[in-house]
Amino acid sequence: MSQEISITPSGTAKPVPTHAVPRKTIAMEPPQTGRAPTPDHAPAPAPTPAPKTAEKIAIRDLHFYYKNFEALKGINLSLYDKRVTAFIGPSGCGKSTLLRVLNRIYELYPEQRATGEVIVDGQNILDPKLDLNLLRAKIGMVFQKPTPFPMSIHDNIAFGIKLYEKLPPSELDGRIESALRRAALWNEVKDKLRQSGLSLSGGQQQRLCIARAIAVKPQILLLDEPASALDPISTQHIEELIDELKTDYCIVIVTHNMQQAARSSDYTAFMYLGELVEFDDTELIFTHPKNKRTEDYITGRFG
Amino acid sequence: MSPYARRRAINATVLGLSFAATAFGLVWLAAILWTLLQNGIPAINVEIFTQSTPAPGSAGGGLLNALYGTFIMTLVGTLVGAPIGILAATFLAEFGRGNPLAPAVRFINDILLSAPSIIIGVFVYIVMVRTMGHFSAWAGAAALAIIVIPVVVRTTEDMLNLVPASLREAAFALGTPKWKVIVMITYRAAMQGMLTGVMLAVARVSGETAPLLFTAVNNQFWSVNMNDWMANLPVVIFQFAMSPYQDWQRLAWGGALIITVAVLALNITARLLASLKGFSR
Repeated sequence: MSQEISITPSGTAKPVPTHAVPRKTIAMEPPQTGRAPTPDHAPAPAPTPAPKTAEKIAIRDLHFYYKNFEALKGINLSLYDKRVTAFIGPSGCGKSTLLRVLNRIYELYPEQRATGEVIVDGQNILDPKLDLNLLRAKIGMVFQKPTPFPMSIHDNIAFGIKLYEKLPPSELDGRIESALRRAALWNEVKDKLRQSGLSLSGGQQQRLCIARAIAVKPQILLLDEPASALDPISTQHIEELIDELKTDYCIVIVTHNMQQAARSSDYTAFMYLGELVEFDDTELIFTHPKNKRTEDYITGRFG
Repeated sequence: MSPYARRRAINATVLGLSFAATAFGLVWLAAILWTLLQNGIPAINVEIFTQSTPAPGSAGGGLLNALYGTFIMTLVGTLVGAPIGILAATFLAEFGRGNPLAPAVRFINDILLSAPSIIIGVFVYIVMVRTMGHFSAWAGAAALAIIVIPVVVRTTEDMLNLVPASLREAAFALGTPKWKVIVMITYRAAMQGMLTGVMLAVARVSGETAPLLFTAVNNQFWSVNMNDWMANLPVVIFQFAMSPYQDWQRLAWGGALIITVAVLALNITARLLASLKGFSR
């Protein structure tokens, strides 16, 4: 979306409607999606496939059920460390469901269950004996709607840190500052850390949530449509942030916005009706999809 | 008549009927308040707040013992009832999913909510007064607590259910243990609504007469002994208003005005709390 803002031909000051609905955008601009993967999202390596890194998460024959409805039908997928993987697909295809398996957040709802294996660093995280809190400390998550806790900005970040570490106040403040800096929010909030997190704008709230997630020092970040409720400028902030964070984390992002997937991910998984249709380098998915359904979807012919 | 004119006519008729119904209700409310103010204001003086209820026929006297009794029994009833209600609502909202006990508890709570308060008075009379062998302020407070519980359960559960699931998920996603999610996130997000519910319960029980008739009864003298009979505004108003003595009737009007103003103030405070922005969205 950054491109749309800067290259708008009509020279008015604010030419772009600030509220673009992602799905509409896709449908209206099929030609753009084709050439969307500009190389600017991948800093060092050339346009061709990003070099493989260590496999961080291995999903093996994963099935997922809402009561009796099978939402995921045998997913096999590898997610790589220090890379961004995007899950795309039409509504109801199972991409958010798949994301929600990775930190077992679905277990809050007793009628949901998963079978198969999800191996993180050699350990099957679907093992019922696993300590869920420790798992979630290692795998952070950011949701579609910003979810600041009803407390100050400072306490929002401190909340997660205090769950795992007992730090002297000065050290805690340092950690909070670095998390906020990392999330590109520090300069905007450094003078109002005692104000409620709810007083921030939507985009700031979402960066606060990202800061809160990374303050716990996770290894994996799950982003569930993190920018879909935000305007283009905030979206750009979040995308830049993703690019900057992937040097340290394994990032998985669910998005409805195909330009976003093209811009900010290294790998893309296209899902449809609970199945993984195609998984490849993002560039290849968007330029030379192997599967007809993938091609139809990314060119806006259905979805 | 064209369909459009017909629609307009129906609209005007229904609107008119609605206004009439509202006016009908408001007229009685205004009449009650007017009578109350007319008779109550002359009764309000310093003595009403500083002296205890007088003996029959004697001049002067006030409602100090009754004000204290209502205050302390409402306070104890709320302190006992509100935490039980909040914990029960927490069970329903946070642990009740998929638990067959939850719908049963919710149903019984709704029955309790609409139970006539005199039944609760009789119940406490049998369970506490009869076993202890005498009326007491403790029994009065217990009866009020039983009335507080269903009100608090209902409002608290509603408020907890209003907290968006995404907020809970966000807390769980950080690896927060469940008790901490409830205490530090959910309660905090629902705080205003929960406070409002407790205030409404206080407003409700501070005017209850029937349950106190069977439990604390009344006491003509100043008493702070919770094990003894205790004066309270609703029963004093009831007895004094029925009496042939003009002084007593005057005090009953004064007491009625005080209790009405107090309940009104509590309700307004509760509403103000509920409308405050800042925490819940």
